[in-house]
Amino acid sequence: MATGATEAKAKVHERGGVAVIELHGEINRSAEAVIERGYEEAAALGPSSLLLDFGSVDYINSTGIALIVGVLARARADGRTVRACGLSDHYREIFEITRLADFMTIHADEASALAEASG
Amino acid sequence: MSAEGRTEAEATARADADEEIREELPSGVSPGEAREGARDATSWAKNVSTLEVADVPEGAVNINVEGKRLASPIQGFGKMWQKTYRVRIPGERVSPTDLIALWKERFPEFWPEGNRFHAPLTGISPGEVALINAALPGGMKLSTGVMVLYADEESFTLMTPQGHMFAGWITFSSIAREGDTVAQAQVLMRASDPIFELGLALGGHRQEDRFWEQTLTALAAHYGHEVEVDTQVVCVDRKRQWRRASNVWHSSAIRSTMYTAGAPLRWLRQKLGRGSAGGKSTA
Repeated sequence: MATGATEAKAKVHERGGVAVIELHGEINRSAEAVIERGYEEAAALGPSSLLLDFGSVDYINSTGIALIVGVLARARADGRTVRACGLSDHYREIFEITRLADFMTIHADEASALAEASG
Repeated sequence: MSAEGRTEAEATARADADEEIREELPSGVSPGEAREGARDATSWAKNVSTLEVADVPEGAVNINVEGKRLASPIQGFGKMWQKTYRVRIPGERVSPTDLIALWKERFPEFWPEGNRFHAPLTGISPGEVALINAALPGGMKLSTGVMVLYADEESFTLMTPQGHMFAGWITFSSIAREGDTVAQAQVLMRASDPIFELGLALGGHRQEDRFWEQTLTALAAHYGHEVEVDTQVVCVDRKRQWRRASNVWHSSAIRSTMYTAGAPLRWLRQKLGRGSAGGKSTA
């Protein structure tokens, strides 16, 4: 995971029918609006699958995890599957503890996530 | 804090510290990464498959925590709710970090009467498990617990085990805003099973709102500030997860009721056991 930037940002793009939400910075309480907008932008692309890319995230605290649960809940309610990629070993473990990993497939990187989504 | 927000002295001190750290780090790891890693290591609980309670304080009952798995809001049954309770305290009375330090240290003191939070001996720190005796409508007592999922200087989060009234977590945090210190409790939850879902609909939600409103009122009163709690409730997901209805087998309400109902039998067994042991020793 990269370091340096702290303010959260979400960049959205579509690849192979998957809406990719590339997250940057710190995912904490101040990231709420950013994540909300990111999801809405991604949903507007009308994909059946979402990919959350954490490769450029510096830090996630427990409020950040709650925001991700919110995205997961909205995606499930909208009938979309959610995948995640770019998580460090540490955050993979956090996703295990919080049991987010039960509900989203975790991939090493965007390429492997997209390959599986299209396969 | 952003790099732009630092003073020149802070930036110089940080650069000096980085230089010292760099010498001790493996190649390819920057001081920033090391600092983030350290923050993570101390703030998050370690992965556990099931909960273990080291010490059971007097008055606490550990029938619904030991051996249970943690349950995130996704594992619950009912609708998913996000409830936010907030109070503003004048900034000159307390800073956000001081407020969180005090809240962690004296967490049980701010709970409404009739409910008991048996704080871990080591306090609110990541991975620690606390037992809870909660009061339910109709005078019913519920024995349950929580694990400290996350704790830093600005926030801490408690996560529930299987069988708790709800599956989810509660994050307590504080930030500075427009000269005030805002203290917040935010619950992200689903009722664990159909019985608790019904209970929430029949007054449980209101009772829970009152619980956290009283807690925050007591916290603000500690700083000599009388204030009304701002409550916001959002339904994040209206769907009930029927395949989670079987969570009822872990229900702490049912297990607590059975435990309470079995008290006379346990007392009798204990008496008989003692009598029998006494008989043997005197024979």
